[in-house]
Amino acid sequence: MSIEVKDIHFSYGKVKALEGVSLDLSHGAIGLLGPNGAGKSTLIRILLGFLSPDRGEGRVLGYDIKNEQSLIRRYVGYMPEDDCFIPGLDAVSFTSYLGELSGMPRQEAMKRAHEVLFYVGLEESRYRRVETYSGGMKQRLKLAQAIVHDPKLIFLDEPTSGLDPQGRKEILELILDISSKKDIQVLISSHILPDIELTCSYVVILDKGILVAQGDISELKEIRDLYEIKVKGETEGFLHRLRDIDCRVEETEDGILKVYMPPGHNRQEIFRIAAEEKIQLRHFVKSQTSLEDLFAKAVGVD
Amino acid sequence: MTIKEKGYAHWDGEFLDKKFPWWPITRYGIKLTFKKKFFKFIFAMSLFPAVVFLAGIYVSERLEDFQFMVRDSMSFLQINPHYFMTYLTNNFMLFTMVIIVIFCGSGLISDDLKHNSLQLYFSRPLKKKDYFLGKTTVIVFFLFIITLIPGLVFFIMKLIFSGSLKFFISYPWLPLSIIGYSFIVTGFFSFYTLFLSSLSKNRRYVAILIFGIYIFSDIFFKIFYDNFRSSYFSLLSLRANIQQVGAYIFSQNPSYNIPWIFSFLVLLCICVLAGFVLKNRVKGVEIVK
Repeated sequence: MSIEVKDIHFSYGKVKALEGVSLDLSHGAIGLLGPNGAGKSTLIRILLGFLSPDRGEGRVLGYDIKNEQSLIRRYVGYMPEDDCFIPGLDAVSFTSYLGELSGMPRQEAMKRAHEVLFYVGLEESRYRRVETYSGGMKQRLKLAQAIVHDPKLIFLDEPTSGLDPQGRKEILELILDISSKKDIQVLISSHILPDIELTCSYVVILDKGILVAQGDISELKEIRDLYEIKVKGETEGFLHRLRDIDCRVEETEDGILKVYMPPGHNRQEIFRIAAEEKIQLRHFVKSQTSLEDLFAKAVGVD
Repeated sequence: MTIKEKGYAHWDGEFLDKKFPWWPITRYGIKLTFKKKFFKFIFAMSLFPAVVFLAGIYVSERLEDFQFMVRDSMSFLQINPHYFMTYLTNNFMLFTMVIIVIFCGSGLISDDLKHNSLQLYFSRPLKKKDYFLGKTTVIVFFLFIITLIPGLVFFIMKLIFSGSLKFFISYPWLPLSIIGYSFIVTGFFSFYTLFLSSLSKNRRYVAILIFGIYIFSDIFFKIFYDNFRSSYFSLLSLRANIQQVGAYIFSQNPSYNIPWIFSFLVLLCICVLAGFVLKNRVKGVEIVK
């Protein structure tokens, strides 16, 4: 297991940030989802050893999060959410400097810095001072410093925040390349659900410091079947009876009803109820549950 | 095929278990200081007193050749521990040290706070002590160049110019005094600078603080001393405290009539306070409550 935590509790004074979080993660790319204040960044900081949990234990790449932080940090890359750089340095010096601090020999760090800057697409501007970089370039540079020492696991905190659509696409392509084609595991914390859906196969959802869902995205989506239907007639009784059998029903602006069937129920029941309520079904399509639906359900919002 | 087209490539090297993991911090700190405007000029100027004092040692051994120059300066050219103390603790030298630490030290932590780079350092296998050591050694490097190294060079040159070990036999403890004083003054300025650098995200404010506290502590001392005529007010002055400790280390009469240990304790308290503040200010994560 690359990340294994048991019953992690952490509080900032009286505010509980994590309560009893347990995880066993070993998949290629893992999405860490949750609304603001859910405890995502706190969890990453605990995994990196920046914060020590009040209770619980854990291991990252087999190293203890309380006693072996140095070893964890040697083999883990971290791309922080905030803009962060060292002024006065050009991108090559900056990246190689952080490689050296990871324990790489000086010349190897410099060589590798050039390579990763080429890889993230900063080859043209690698001799420019980092404070003159645009927001998108700084994101790439942060990714470069996270991978310069060839980590086995990378924590990416909001990797696409503040990027234009093209920049976002390019960063996501890099993350996909790193996580899917190589034996590097990636943990991406983000609130941009399509990014997680595109890059990750496994998702962990936190809400108010509690683990509310985790699993393969495809499996989680299949827990409820989603049907999009259009009806003609008086819908009140129809909707009422659907909700009685524990269906979640949402009405879109263009009059389409999205019906989430709970496990163990059959779509035939929709037809039966419609017939009994004398409702005409004009349109009936089995649809895909989006990660957004899954997230909304997990954190209990519409 | 470019690396971008090839995709991500692994690094096949091996990590080193470095004895001094803080060394890259020091190296880059020194490099960045030399890139600062006017620093090279200021630093070269700070070595000027060393050249003058070294010339003094040479002249003292060739008095018969320089009679025309040294008619009124004979007392200055007595090469003894007082001569060394004068070089290391004179007002100009201490002021120069303040200017040097403003250049090399004001941004050491404040820039990291401003640009959120502490998390970059601490996401590497670095401990807090490595970070502090790396930053401190930048200041130590520059201050040793104008204190420890000239002090020891003067001593060696005195032996070479005199062509005998008489000076060494007379003052065998002098090299230790030079080393001890250099460590104390450099240690104090390192704590003082890093402490102030950790208080603000703006290096200009830090520079003003470093300069202002040093100058105003002396001004307050002089105001109180002129009014009350008590030497104990010298404890208010950073300059006076350093000079008191220097006088003790070089076995000279102190300028102010108070025990040197009081001055030493004042400097020590500042260092302890600085250490406490630094420990709390420098963290891998900024926690917003």
